[in-house]
Amino acid sequence: MSDLESRLDQIVPEPQFSPRANRGPLMISMKNVSKRYVANKAALENVNVEVAAGEFVFIVGHSGSGKSTFIRMLLREVQPSSGQIIVAGHDLSRLKNSKVPYLRRNIGCVFQDFKLLPNKTAFENVAFALQVIGKSKHVINTQVPEVLRLVGLEGKIHNYPHELSGGEQQRVSVARAFVNRPPLLLCDEPTGNLDPQTSLGIMKLLERINRTGTTTLIATHDQEMVNYMRQRVIALDEGQLVRDQDRGVYGNVD
Amino acid sequence: MSINLGYFISEAAISFKRNWVMTFGGIATIFLSLLLMGSALLMNSLVNDMVGDIESRINIQVWIHDDAEYVDIEGLQVALEGHENVATVHLVDKDEALERFTYMTQESPQIVEQLQDNPLPRSLEIELIDTQEIDGVLSLIRGSEEFPLIADPPSDPERALAYGQGIVETLLGATQTARYAGIALVGILAVVSLIFINNTIRLAIYARRNELSIMRLVGASNGFIRAPFILEGILQALVGAILAILVLLAIKSFVFPGLQETLAFITFNFTNALMTEIALILLASGVVIGTLGAIIAMRRYLKI
Ligand SMILES: Nc1ncnc2c1ncn2[C@@H]1O[C@H](COP(=O)(O)OP(=O)(O)OP(=O)(O)O)[C@@H](O)[C@H]1O
Ligand SMILES: [Mg+2]
Repeated sequence: MSDLESRLDQIVPEPQFSPRANRGPLMISMKNVSKRYVANKAALENVNVEVAAGEFVFIVGHSGSGKSTFIRMLLREVQPSSGQIIVAGHDLSRLKNSKVPYLRRNIGCVFQDFKLLPNKTAFENVAFALQVIGKSKHVINTQVPEVLRLVGLEGKIHNYPHELSGGEQQRVSVARAFVNRPPLLLCDEPTGNLDPQTSLGIMKLLERINRTGTTTLIATHDQEMVNYMRQRVIALDEGQLVRDQDRGVYGNVD
Repeated sequence: MSINLGYFISEAAISFKRNWVMTFGGIATIFLSLLLMGSALLMNSLVNDMVGDIESRINIQVWIHDDAEYVDIEGLQVALEGHENVATVHLVDKDEALERFTYMTQESPQIVEQLQDNPLPRSLEIELIDTQEIDGVLSLIRGSEEFPLIADPPSDPERALAYGQGIVETLLGATQTARYAGIALVGILAVVSLIFINNTIRLAIYARRNELSIMRLVGASNGFIRAPFILEGILQALVGAILAILVLLAIKSFVFPGLQETLAFITFNFTNALMTEIALILLASGVVIGTLGAIIAMRRYLKI
């Protein structure tokens, strides 16, 4: 039994209630963060959020409420117009451009459109992520099959994306995000293109990954899923944080 | 690292195949520009050799009237020998002059046979130490009291002086124009090859935009993302440079020997050291052009 599987098997009993004060060390801290792409319209306005290591958090809101902006700022794809963001101990406004790649090695990300390379097999797509950060062949050949087994694709590791269903493609993309064992996993509408049944499978997979200790943030407007999972919910409305609730529901964001 | 090197090389090879028109254009312009540069360097060395050769052969001749008194000739000779820029002063008498003339015209001996008596004048042959500083010696001759007395013809002493007036200046002037034209042409071709490389790399970046966005997301370092493009630019330039070097070597071995036979007065002396130097200059210029083209393209089209 591999190291990873044994980690996955020690499923942590779900805490019934976790008061903010008792959470572990911070993985994400946003203080007074605002983002304006254009001068007079804020995509995010004065957002304050703290996420402890190991948490599972949904970010919900209408289209255009700022969910993707939220995620992209954590990746330092966009810089806030004001405010401070700290991810895994790095103050992103002070992080040099040349250090951004090393920040991203600690963050896995999954997107609605999977972002797989069509001319590479499942194995090669996952291997690519390790290859381009300079991992050795040996590491690749042991870690890639293992993570593909974890996401339930052991039978299809040599299939090309067009030979896989949407759900399977998203599993490949989750495998790619997780293969380097990042402490933080960011997902922007990971189930946006999938039917409810398949979505549930992906969500369960993300929850399993979260139980290995990986802090997981999921931006979504999949109402049913959020209500079903009963996890922390942060609601955005026109760039404002309007609700931050443990074991919350999608709720009425209007 | 072994896996990385393989990765970069296969990336470059794929891109070569994908954009072969642009790649070919880039290689061809680099080839032309470097070939021209190489030829210019060869020509330059040739001209320098020629100028040096001619300069070293420049001396001053003073033609002496047949009626000139020996004391006056000797007076001028002694004065010249005292000048700091004069190496030797040699009096060519009428017999030696005829001997030289006979030698120069040996292919048509009838010329000498037709001479009644020896019409050739005596002359002073002055060898200089520094041919650049010829003026001091000339003014010494012109200012001496003996010169008007011995000069042939006495009516126009200036015509008694021969010192390769302006040969070097004319030669340098002509080659200077050619040199500027060459530099301009090399410059233009270099810019054109930069444009081609810039375009190849732009297409390569476009073709790989999905891969690049994933590479950025998973944290590939900036150097790792850029390296394949720089490598591609350099590879393209190196192929052009190597072709240019091969053509230059071919010219050296097959064209110049034939030319040497027709232009016997010029010595084509292209040593291996010279050819190696030129080859290194071309390779280095190729690497510079290739890197520069890739860097320009990445600044414009590769957002990191
Ligand atoms: N690059 C950009 N330039 C200008 N405006 C932008 C840019 N990106 C996003 N915006 C604007 O910022 C606001 C928030 O966009 P964002 O993509 O974060 O919303 P979202 O919650 O992810 O929406 P969706 O659910 O549709 O994905 C929107 O009004 C959007 O038009
Ligand atoms: Mg979005």
